[in-house]
Amino acid sequence: MPAQPLNRICYVEDDEDIQKIVRMSLERIGKMTVEVIGDPLVAIEAIKSFKPELVMLDWMMPGMDGPTLYRRMKEVPEVRDVPVVFITAKASQRELDELRALGAAGTISKPFSPKDLPGQLRAIWQTLP
Amino acid sequence: MNSVTAAPTLAAAARVADAGDRADPQRVLADRVEQLYSQMPVGIVLTLVIGGIATYELWDTRTRDLVLFWWGLLLLVTAARAVLYLAYRRSANKLPEAAQWLRWLAISALANGVNWGFAGAVFFPSHTDEQQVFLAFLLTGIASAGIPAYAASWPMFALYSGAIVLPFTYVLANFGNRLFAEIALLVPLFYLANVAIAYRLNHVFYSGYRLRHAYGRLTEDYTALNRRLEQQLVELEEARRQVEASGRKLALFAERAPIAVIELDADGLIQRINQSAENLFGWTSQELTERKASAKVLVRPEYHAEFDERWRQMIASRAPVAHIKIRNPRRDGLEVVCAWTITPLVNAEGNVIAVIAQGQDITRQMEAEKLKKEFTSTLSHELRTPLTSIIGSLQLINAGVLGEVDKEVAELTGVAERNGQRLLDLINDILDIEKIESGKVTLEPEVLSLDEVVSESLVLNRGFAERFQVRLEPRGALLPIKVNVDRKRLLQVMTNLLSNAAKFSPQGEAVEVTMEDLGARVRVGVHDHGPGIPENFRARIFGRFAQADSSVTRQKGGTGLGLAICKRLIELMHGRIGFADRELGGTVFYFDLPKHQTP
Repeated sequence: MPAQPLNRICYVEDDEDIQKIVRMSLERIGKMTVEVIGDPLVAIEAIKSFKPELVMLDWMMPGMDGPTLYRRMKEVPEVRDVPVVFITAKASQRELDELRALGAAGTISKPFSPKDLPGQLRAIWQTLP
Repeated sequence: MNSVTAAPTLAAAARVADAGDRADPQRVLADRVEQLYSQMPVGIVLTLVIGGIATYELWDTRTRDLVLFWWGLLLLVTAARAVLYLAYRRSANKLPEAAQWLRWLAISALANGVNWGFAGAVFFPSHTDEQQVFLAFLLTGIASAGIPAYAASWPMFALYSGAIVLPFTYVLANFGNRLFAEIALLVPLFYLANVAIAYRLNHVFYSGYRLRHAYGRLTEDYTALNRRLEQQLVELEEARRQVEASGRKLALFAERAPIAVIELDADGLIQRINQSAENLFGWTSQELTERKASAKVLVRPEYHAEFDERWRQMIASRAPVAHIKIRNPRRDGLEVVCAWTITPLVNAEGNVIAVIAQGQDITRQMEAEKLKKEFTSTLSHELRTPLTSIIGSLQLINAGVLGEVDKEVAELTGVAERNGQRLLDLINDILDIEKIESGKVTLEPEVLSLDEVVSESLVLNRGFAERFQVRLEPRGALLPIKVNVDRKRLLQVMTNLLSNAAKFSPQGEAVEVTMEDLGARVRVGVHDHGPGIPENFRARIFGRFAQADSSVTRQKGGTGLGLAICKRLIELMHGRIGFADRELGGTVFYFDLPKHQTP
């Protein structure tokens, strides 16, 4: 279990409406600091500068999908060790298992409830070493 | 058609072959008797004439009384013979009584012979030389005349002739005259010679009659055979007509069928194609046959090697190939997708005499399926994403994240959130059942203790049940029985059954969950105290969009797909689902799952 409670989060998501909802959920309910990134192609740079404790990746995004972005992150030393949670509407159990095997911290299925989202993230945070 | 076989013809031929041995002996006998009787009138007339002449010639002698006696005897015997003859002629039983008639005739012949023999023995010694010559001549003639008369029966001739000459021989031998004694030695020799001739003649007659009868039988058989052959020809013709008619019918079926029908030979060369195939592929039947086109004209070149291999396998196994989908190039370069059923026709010797390929154009069907897939995908992502935003926004408002909202506004946003959620549930259920029905759901079975899954489902659904003020309780022990199931999917089934039970239970009641060991299977039951299942709804309760009362949907939510999904999921786990009325009201929904067999 990490020493400090979960606070800084990066969220990579192209849909502006969902961005707003997640930001509001995490900031208002979860009392967290959130950086939303709309373009996955600049995500790694943004994560590098924001230095989040946890990154949330949307699965389906134009330009680059979540899993690809995740693999790119693994190649960049500064962001390689940041825990990643996937938000997905489609992944099969097998694909999720594969991602877990690659080291993903967890998955949250879409549609999620913004009320419960901070709790879900904290629960995943608790499982991390 | 069933009599068209070779067997009767062979049997008839066999009968013809042995007809010569099968001349009926009774018929041959009857024919001989008939021949003998037919000689009687001539014999009777001759007897009277010769007897009259003899009487006249012998009249001037001293033994006139004896001559009269003899004449009287002759008339008597002759009259008896005439009566016999007439009786025979009138007889209706000539054939069965032939032997009897023969015996009567033999008696009459003997009597006739004895009569003449009497004349020879009595009149010869006492008369003048001229009369002796006359008598000798007379007797010889009379005896010889018996040969043609009795030729059909040599014993009869032997009797008759013997009766004439043997007394005469005796008289000659004892006459005391050397010449007569020498003649007496010769007469029996002549007699034997005559009998021998009669014997030979008899055989000729016998063979003649036998042949005649054999021939008659042969003719009969031949006629019967001919009749049978004619009959068979008629039947064959009828059979041919029927075959031709059904052939025409079949051809018509193929010709007018809305599917493409192609007849090929065992090498895959096209023999002909029907109208539908012509329309579909753009070739005429004649063009293809003239070019000796192979079926490969309808297969893309890159698949020719595979086609050859599969064709070879089909011809080798003689097994039909069904529902094989092939992308077929048309003459104009476009392509259609057809589902083919290809059937080799095998004759009695096991050779492939033709191959019939029936193809259904499923291009549009495939397009429709593709559209459906795209639609499902759209439903899955494009519809769920905005709904996520809508429901999420409403949830945030209703959770008071933005501070207290006006009570009436909160009521309306509550309505919006609930209905958004219902829409989302519906979409999820539709996607789920589509996935299950198209076989795209792959379960992830693991060996689990069923009581643990059941307990988990009770915990998960407790909150939902509390909304309806209903308790979820196990009744009796939950059994730690191992099953091989997909945990998430089984929880989905339990959630469905428990939430249904909770929705339909009166407030304050309990929904009870039981487990029952059924031997090879284990049963989980969910018992409610609800109103029961209406009679008219029972048959379609596991169907899609099944709800007993559509107003319930508005009151309690639910998509009407839950039980349909449950049924399919349970069946995918090799179980079965059902329901029953409870004795004290309410319903029990149950499912049976096979126990896990430890290998």
